[in-house]
Amino acid sequence: MNAYVVTVATLVAIQSIVACGLNVVVGYAGQISLGHAAFFGIGAYASALLTTKAGLTFWTALPLVIAITGLVGLLLGIPSLRVRDDFLAITTIGINFIVEAVFLYVPFFGGALGIGGIPRVTFFHVKMKGLPYLYLCLAFLALVLLVCRWFTRSWAGLACFALREDETAAASMGISPVRFKLLAFVLGTAMAGLGGALYAHFMRFISAGDFSFPVSVMLLSMVVLGGMGTLWGPTLGAVILVSLPELFRPLLEIRFLIYTLLLLLMIRFQPGGLLGEASLVRRVFSRLMPGKEAPR
Amino acid sequence: MKKVLLSVRDLAKHFGGLRAVDGVSFDLHEREILGLLGPNGAGKTVCFNLISGVYTPTAGEIHFAGIRSDGLPPHRMAALGLGRTFQIVKPFSNLTVLDNVIVACGVDRYRSLARSFGGWTGAAVRKKAVELLERVGLADEADRKAGLLPLGHLRRLEIARALAVGYRLILLDESFSGLREEEIAPLMDLVARIRQDGISVLLIEHNMRVAMKLSDRIVVLDHGRKIAEGLPGEVARDPLVIEAYLGRGGSSRVA
Ligand SMILES: Nc1ncnc2c1ncn2[C@@H]1O[C@H](COP(=O)(O)OP(=O)(O)OP(=O)(O)O)[C@@H](O)[C@H]1O
Ligand SMILES: [Mg+2]
Repeated sequence: MNAYVVTVATLVAIQSIVACGLNVVVGYAGQISLGHAAFFGIGAYASALLTTKAGLTFWTALPLVIAITGLVGLLLGIPSLRVRDDFLAITTIGINFIVEAVFLYVPFFGGALGIGGIPRVTFFHVKMKGLPYLYLCLAFLALVLLVCRWFTRSWAGLACFALREDETAAASMGISPVRFKLLAFVLGTAMAGLGGALYAHFMRFISAGDFSFPVSVMLLSMVVLGGMGTLWGPTLGAVILVSLPELFRPLLEIRFLIYTLLLLLMIRFQPGGLLGEASLVRRVFSRLMPGKEAPR
Repeated sequence: MKKVLLSVRDLAKHFGGLRAVDGVSFDLHEREILGLLGPNGAGKTVCFNLISGVYTPTAGEIHFAGIRSDGLPPHRMAALGLGRTFQIVKPFSNLTVLDNVIVACGVDRYRSLARSFGGWTGAAVRKKAVELLERVGLADEADRKAGLLPLGHLRRLEIARALAVGYRLILLDESFSGLREEEIAPLMDLVARIRQDGISVLLIEHNMRVAMKLSDRIVVLDHGRKIAEGLPGEVARDPLVIEAYLGRGGSSRVA
């Protein structure tokens, strides 16, 4: 594999991890978040600072990074998740802008210059770059997918599905709306934190713009395109949305426009996403391979 | 004397100037089926929402299963063994009928995070949910999306979910409306049998034949106030009740 393909594939794997986290919030729990890039950024900055300023290694920093991101998710989630669903979209956009502004204007976070000199990940004294780092990211993606699968099969996950469908009915069955929405939010933001850490040590230089609002829109587009609430949807969405602009270079400049358009089109014509219930892909798949089911 | 399971004291709920429930008191005993009747807008559903914790009362007290329960949120009431249906049905539309019931079967699991991390896909839970669907006659629809069911089926799905939750008390809000004639008798049998399992029922019902036949006692509300309470036969003859339902002069519907 040439270096360029490896680079793109690594970005796909990282974005998949972050999109999986968003899927827990949006797809499983039905909470529209338009600020997920903020938590991606918090993970990246936390790992960058802990390794450059505090001198930790990637591996010792990682549990802290995930905990920090999840904790910030918890603190921001408590007030946000109490508001009505449509306000949540607005609130999360606000969170995204505030977090980006903090990165940009607070000197501790490197200001406009961002943070550079982020060390590579080492694994048994071997510096991981290129293909090995891709494998590392894929391994973490596999872990995240396993966690997602476990979650959908746990009572907690079922509680989130019920809340997504009808909060009043769910509450009448013993489900605390706040507890389980928060759980989904914390789980989703922790995954974003993991993705952020992998991103920071891959790019080795990060700045506030990497985690701006359009990135949140892109992440949401991935989830909606692939199929909200499905297991593989976010990964499929990330594969398509990260690699397409790379294949058609002219698209790169207007890719955020494309993401937004795609988001609107999908919601209008294929709300279930590519892997969702009764989707085009699913119908074609069952036509081509009768008796088998497309992955979800 | 039978033990009191639910006691409502001077309960009131005001929405701005509207006194939806205005000083209502009644007791519900263990293993009792109590009918809650009254014309449209009388405050019956608001009463249900107060008892099940959806609303906090403006005034008054509710005691359930030995504790003061007004102000507790709905999920705490569910954990105390109170199951309910909704007059405007609230299915989990994108889940299957079976999964709708399984959600309700997990009522004990949602109490702590640790317990909620266990799996819900096991055979024992599934079996319990299928049994509940059989009781309401929906077993054949188990694998369909709940959102695709007709109203009559959804009413029965609501009852199945309430049965999974309510091991002490079940609130049925017009569960018989929208059912076809031949669906009514089996469901009446079901409600009558619920009591044999030691569960109490509070029933809102516009179908007088159903209400009169099922209820041990009846409480009648009008404009948020209790206007009558007693045995079905007594209440049906009460002039205040007849007037509330029919306006002055009529007498044909309550009989
Ligand atoms: N959330 C609310 N906000 C304001 N007013 C309400 C609310 N809920 C109910 N009401 C009003 O309270 C009154 C009682 O309503 P309720 O739903 O309890 O009637 P009901 O006895 O259940 O009638 P029906 O037989 O038609 O279901 C009505 O006038 C209704 O409009
Ligand atoms: Mg009503």
